[in-house]
Amino acid sequence: MPTYYIDTDDGDLFLVDDEGIELPGDADARLAALRALPDMARDRIPDGDKRTFTVRVTRSDRTLVYSAVLRLEGSMASATADQPAGL
Amino acid sequence: MTSSKRDLSPLVRKLGSETPLSEEEVAALMDLSSIVREVSPGEIIVHEGDEPSQACLILDGLLCRYKITGQGARQIHSFHIAGDIPDLQSLLLAHMDHSISVLRPSVLAIIPHHGLHQLIAAHPDVGRMLWRETLVDGSIFREWLSNVGHRSALSRIAHVICELVIRFDVLGLLRDMTLPIRLTQSEIGDAQGLSLVHVNRVMKELREKHLIKSDGMHIQILDLKGLMTIGDFDPAYLHLHTLPKVLCGTGTL
Repeated sequence: MPTYYIDTDDGDLFLVDDEGIELPGDADARLAALRALPDMARDRIPDGDKRTFTVRVTRSDRTLVYSAVLRLEGSMASATADQPAGL
Repeated sequence: MTSSKRDLSPLVRKLGSETPLSEEEVAALMDLSSIVREVSPGEIIVHEGDEPSQACLILDGLLCRYKITGQGARQIHSFHIAGDIPDLQSLLLAHMDHSISVLRPSVLAIIPHHGLHQLIAAHPDVGRMLWRETLVDGSIFREWLSNVGHRSALSRIAHVICELVIRFDVLGLLRDMTLPIRLTQSEIGDAQGLSLVHVNRVMKELREKHLIKSDGMHIQILDLKGLMTIGDFDPAYLHLHTLPKVLCGTGTL
């Protein structure tokens, strides 16, 4: 079975996979990577309104197999949004 | 691990650690007729839907209770170690509602139900102790439910490591703050509802925080108190009569 390296970033902690996982093929590597996204999101949200979660899968020879991004963009709708700074 | 004379003392030790057993009760337990079997990782001891006529006491190793969902995912409900009888419920519940499989090379004592029924008839207090064991199982399931429902991945994994530390320490099997049994990341993930990749991340985070050391999946605890805090872990749900000495210095004793 080929070895895949799945790097992950939750906006705070970017981890390079230096161990690798043996998986049957590219489709399984994609699934393994995608499943990490909601897990990372569940742990970090609601910390911050702007966050990017990224997963990237490469083979042993460093060729890119798959990558995906999940973005959070949140903002409070506020009547005081136009108040000058300092108040 | 050899298959030389293996007796039921892990069960006596486990039951006796909660309530002192009389000499007659110890003798009756040790006299239970059983067949000792060595089993290998991957072996399914009992399947969901089976109607077993025996129960298996773990003498050594690691088993789990689990179910496979309609989508083919494995939910591990609990880990079981020496002294546990993971299918004890089958004494009273005819059909298995889950399966039990072997995770590491293990040794089991297979005990026919009729022997257990006879023992309980002759020694009703032992029956109550066995009933109590199944109730503690329930408490552990509730705690795992809280894990999966409301704790972060970091908490969940810290929590399950703390639980195993305590359970092994109660048996006298914790040496050098290292879990004597390997756990794979896939097993941790299937137990706590986490993807394999995320378990890998969290294990790295636990190492970076100097809470654990792990290589080839043998986990050594460097800071139990810190791990318990991260894990939101309170051993009360294990209903131990005496808290093990490993908890000294953690603020629990």
